[in-house]
Amino acid sequence: MSHLGDRLSALVDGELGGAERDRAHAHLAGCEQCRAEAAELRALKQKLRSLTTRAPAEAAMTSRLIAMTGTGGPQPARRRLLRAIPGTAGGPQSAGRGSLRPGLPRPRRARRRRALVIGAMSLVVGLGTAAFTAGGGGEAVPGPKVTPQVELYGVEHAITTGGLPITGPPAPLNSEANATAP
Amino acid sequence: MSAFSSPLSRRRDGRGSLLLAAVLAVTVPGFLVAACSAQGTQGGQKAPGAGQEAAASAGTQGRKQSSQRAVRLLTEAAQAAVLTSYQGEEIVSRWGSGTQPTVLVSEIWHVSGGQTVTQTLQPGTGSSGQPYRSADNDAQTPEGVLGVTAPLVNLLKQNYVLAYAGSGTVYNRKAQVVEALRGDGSLAARFWLDNATKLPLEREVFDLSARPIGEDEFINVSVFGRAAISAPAGGVDDPQGPWTGPLPPARLLTLRSRGWLVRPALPDDLSLFTGAQTTTSSGTVLDLGYSDGLSVISLFEQRGNLPARLAGWQKTTVDGKVIYVTEPGQRSMTWSSKGMVYTLITDAPAQTVSAVVGTLPHDAPPGFFRRLSRGLAKLASWVNPFR
Repeated sequence: MSHLGDRLSALVDGELGGAERDRAHAHLAGCEQCRAEAAELRALKQKLRSLTTRAPAEAAMTSRLIAMTGTGGPQPARRRLLRAIPGTAGGPQSAGRGSLRPGLPRPRRARRRRALVIGAMSLVVGLGTAAFTAGGGGEAVPGPKVTPQVELYGVEHAITTGGLPITGPPAPLNSEANATAP
Repeated sequence: MSAFSSPLSRRRDGRGSLLLAAVLAVTVPGFLVAACSAQGTQGGQKAPGAGQEAAASAGTQGRKQSSQRAVRLLTEAAQAAVLTSYQGEEIVSRWGSGTQPTVLVSEIWHVSGGQTVTQTLQPGTGSSGQPYRSADNDAQTPEGVLGVTAPLVNLLKQNYVLAYAGSGTVYNRKAQVVEALRGDGSLAARFWLDNATKLPLEREVFDLSARPIGEDEFINVSVFGRAAISAPAGGVDDPQGPWTGPLPPARLLTLRSRGWLVRPALPDDLSLFTGAQTTTSSGTVLDLGYSDGLSVISLFEQRGNLPARLAGWQKTTVDGKVIYVTEPGQRSMTWSSKGMVYTLITDAPAQTVSAVVGTLPHDAPPGFFRRLSRGLAKLASWVNPFR
């Protein structure tokens, strides 16, 4: 015997037409399982109706409390309730396609993904900064390290010029450092 | 050197070599002739009579005569600095950016055609430094007084208008005054040349804005017979090391072909007029002397790189180029580029020094990606356990 299936929900909602409704009632009279299911649907419908008639502040509080549980977030309360009740239209059949997939809830995954992106970017920026700093300075050219022997050079310069072998200051260079001086 | 890295550079370098050869062929023998002729013209040429002839007389003939007389007086002064035995005190004053000059005092003893001993008073202490002794027996590197040497007088003649400016007195010694004028007529330098000994007694140098940047005096001058003068004991013989020079043009061209930077000229009419070479514990050092007759720049080159830290040197930037200078005064400066360490010692005006530093080789800062690549390679080498 085939049960009412989706027509049961339509029957409870009063959406079936005359002949269709009569056939459904006839089936319910002889089917214990469909009668029980119809009773559950009616009870659920009653609950939902009572939820929607609560005060708005209370509904908002309920939403916040649901969100605080961390299992649903800002989803409509009706859908979550439907998913939580097995045997309903939003029950186990549809739960496998929804947010009850195995794994972490969507917000937590997003946070983890964002953390990964930020971490990767930080690593790239840090590494780049370190490489840029380390890559500064003069080109590494092979050859001995030479410290100019100023005294030696100064004497030679003095002989060249016919002057004195002294490293006295003639005038400051026209350097950028001096350019800032008054 | 980068100049040899491309065919274009090689062609340019070839022209540079020809130019250098031409300049050296013309200038260096001229200096040698001038220096050697100083030996042959010894013997008291009579000092020109004192007078108030106008150095800048209106007529061409007058200017020519004035110039000839100025050149003759300077040439005689350069000769006298080599051929006369004398003792005196040289006072060198240099003006920097401040109003107070830096003053250096040295005692000088010179034996005719022979050695010169210089003992410098330590600035600010009143004590004397170690005297150094140098020889100019070959007369090819003639030492002079107050920078008046035969090669520099020759360059002075080429780059400035020399004029006789009358007579004057310096520390009760009668002197002839010679002025060096720039092409625009501004005064670049003024010399007082002793009537009696022909020796330079004073030199004033002015920058382009007519501001004095240097004043050298030679005072308490005594002239002796060759045997009468005695230098202080304990002098160091040639502490500057065995400099080989002046290098002949062929040698300079050879050095240039081997990668040494030998330019025939530098900015502001600075011409290569001498070169010398020595060997130190860290390798060969080449000294190239450039001058316009008044200012001298000694460019020292040595293969290698500067160490990471240079004690006694301060990092600064000149026309965008990072260099190291000595303090105080920034009279000496050094940097390295492409495996060569360049050191400048000079008394030239700041504008000239900046121009010279700007034209010599410097390592360009690496680009962003080049620097990043170098840094990554360096970081990788630091963490590589197998290196």
